[in-house]
Amino acid sequence: MATAKPHIFRWDLDKTYLATEFDSLRDLLRTAMQRPADKANVPGSAELLRALRGDSGGRAQVFFISGSPRQMRGVLSEKLALDGIHYDGFILKDNLGNLLRGRFRAVKEQIGYKLPALLDARTKAPLAAEETLFGDDAERDAFVYSLYADLLAERVPPDVLERVLDTAGVYPDQREAIYGALDRLEPCDPVRRVIIHLDRKSPPIRFEAYGPRVVPVYNYFQAALVLYEDGRLLPETIGRLGTALHAEHGFTLPMLLRSFQDVLRRGGISYDAARKLGGQALRAGIDREVVELFAREASDRSVMPARDRSQGVPDYPSLLEREQQRHRIEKARRKKRRRWL
Amino acid sequence: MATIALDAMGGDHGAAPAVRAAARISLERKAAVVVVGDQHQIESALRRTRYDAAFLSIVHTDQVVDMAESPRKALDAKPEASILVGARLVADGRADALVSAGNTGASILACARTFERLPGVNRTALAAVYPTERRRGSNDDPFALMLDVGATLDADADTLVAFAHMGAAYAARISKNPRPRVALLSNGEEPFKGSPAIVEAHRRLAADTHLNFVGNVEGVDLPRGKADVVVTDGFTGNVVLKMLEGISETVVDLARYAYRSKLVWRIGLGLLRGGIVQLKQLTDWKQYGGAPILGFDHLFIKAHGRSNDRALGNAIKVAHRAVESDLCREMGERLATALGDAD
Repeated sequence: MATAKPHIFRWDLDKTYLATEFDSLRDLLRTAMQRPADKANVPGSAELLRALRGDSGGRAQVFFISGSPRQMRGVLSEKLALDGIHYDGFILKDNLGNLLRGRFRAVKEQIGYKLPALLDARTKAPLAAEETLFGDDAERDAFVYSLYADLLAERVPPDVLERVLDTAGVYPDQREAIYGALDRLEPCDPVRRVIIHLDRKSPPIRFEAYGPRVVPVYNYFQAALVLYEDGRLLPETIGRLGTALHAEHGFTLPMLLRSFQDVLRRGGISYDAARKLGGQALRAGIDREVVELFAREASDRSVMPARDRSQGVPDYPSLLEREQQRHRIEKARRKKRRRWL
Repeated sequence: MATIALDAMGGDHGAAPAVRAAARISLERKAAVVVVGDQHQIESALRRTRYDAAFLSIVHTDQVVDMAESPRKALDAKPEASILVGARLVADGRADALVSAGNTGASILACARTFERLPGVNRTALAAVYPTERRRGSNDDPFALMLDVGATLDADADTLVAFAHMGAAYAARISKNPRPRVALLSNGEEPFKGSPAIVEAHRRLAADTHLNFVGNVEGVDLPRGKADVVVTDGFTGNVVLKMLEGISETVVDLARYAYRSKLVWRIGLGLLRGGIVQLKQLTDWKQYGGAPILGFDHLFIKAHGRSNDRALGNAIKVAHRAVESDLCREMGERLATALGDAD
């Protein structure tokens, strides 16, 4: 495994761990009324999360941070228990409080909620603990997680943060929480990876500005390959996860092969790591034919120029403006589609 | 699940329309697409597109046959041309059908060099659908099938008979028309009208109990839909098909002219708008996707060189439907039965 340091996995819940639909009011109501056993997982999320804990040798902690209302805690806790997920913390949003205070923007807004929550959670973490963060493309998880990482490492100047908070319309008490947490925190650079589950199948280019730390994935087999590269998962776990996706979620071997080729092409896993994984898989008793099929997927490529893998600091204010503009366009498009229906 | 190999390099507009078509199909999660071509160009378009990685993959090659190249020379000089690589993927079982918007001659030659011909097939046929008055089959399909429209310029009687069986199999499987009416295109309904090949093919098809042969049809019968499958040689078929396309475009141009000319006509066209849009969709080649090349043991769909992403997406869907309905096996069985009876 990568290091003997403690490792924290922070997971968003809806559309990252759970396959939740909340694009319409009906979806929202249905989600709110669902019993724990009826809640569906994103295929492979539970298996991956259990494996991350298992493969860490007891050094991993799991935290959930979700935009779901606090009233859902009982149902969600029960769902996680049903899935056999042990967690160390679970933050939910005070939507009722926001509504009662007339803060309607805060019900949907993520930056003013997630950023202080993440920073506060970090104040309670061991200084040496590294982090891997999981989110999705339905909200602004890539933005919030990247900003969080760069704030911890003191890579974001105060005026830039101020502009971001202004653009996002963050409330004064949320700003206080952000600055308060930053004051309490020692400078550190713990965020190793941000995995974004492409629930809406957003084009990968949307995440390129965040640098190689952010890897968008189409499924959790791809996420597992990235985490293998990071040293968070054992090689045999990749095989087990592939088998579980096949047996329980209808993923065929060709689907896994194509997913592998895609994440390899996009640089989520390096060719060296893929080759190493092939060797380890053979030693772990994985069928030689299967390993050769994966090797063939890796060879159907051109010699691509090496991509710029350096992690710079994104231009957060411009990125946020672009995100907001994209959100407005998507909203208008959905509205138009509903009118036609 | 069917896997369709898509030659991304063949069309007039580069790789981008093919990539967008493949991406759109991947999101439907019904078929997988292997995009064959220059990985750099494909990736450059793909990263800007919504797609599902579990249903899309890339096979790299940097050799392309251009539209203006001589097919034979180009394929000899470029063994890794995208059309050849795509055909090999199908022949090796890594894909189930091939779609390309590239050089037609090179595409057919690539298939001929890579695929096997079905028993009894000497020459292959490019089949195309065209809209008719009449609807047919359980799909209520307004389209009739014509073959050949350009693969085999000069067809003898054996070839025309084989085309009739392949066309009938296609109509049965794709239009869900179990007993399609098959006809020969000629210059008169009488059995003795037409070239010697047509007359001889007529004699043999009339005696064939496996086909619903309705005799000869003339050009005037085509848009009326008198037959569901019209058999002809590639030269005639190509001229007829292009003329049908030309008429359709001319009608639209006339409507545009009328719209600009008089207010009363404009109002009239406005009232007819819904119908005109439907008619335009019916005659829009982008809607059909592509034309299948029949006669090989694997399916190849030839898309128009000018195809955009919608046309290529529809071509992939046609290929998918043909694979799901086991079209090549059906054609092989029909031909084997017909050959057995002839012996």
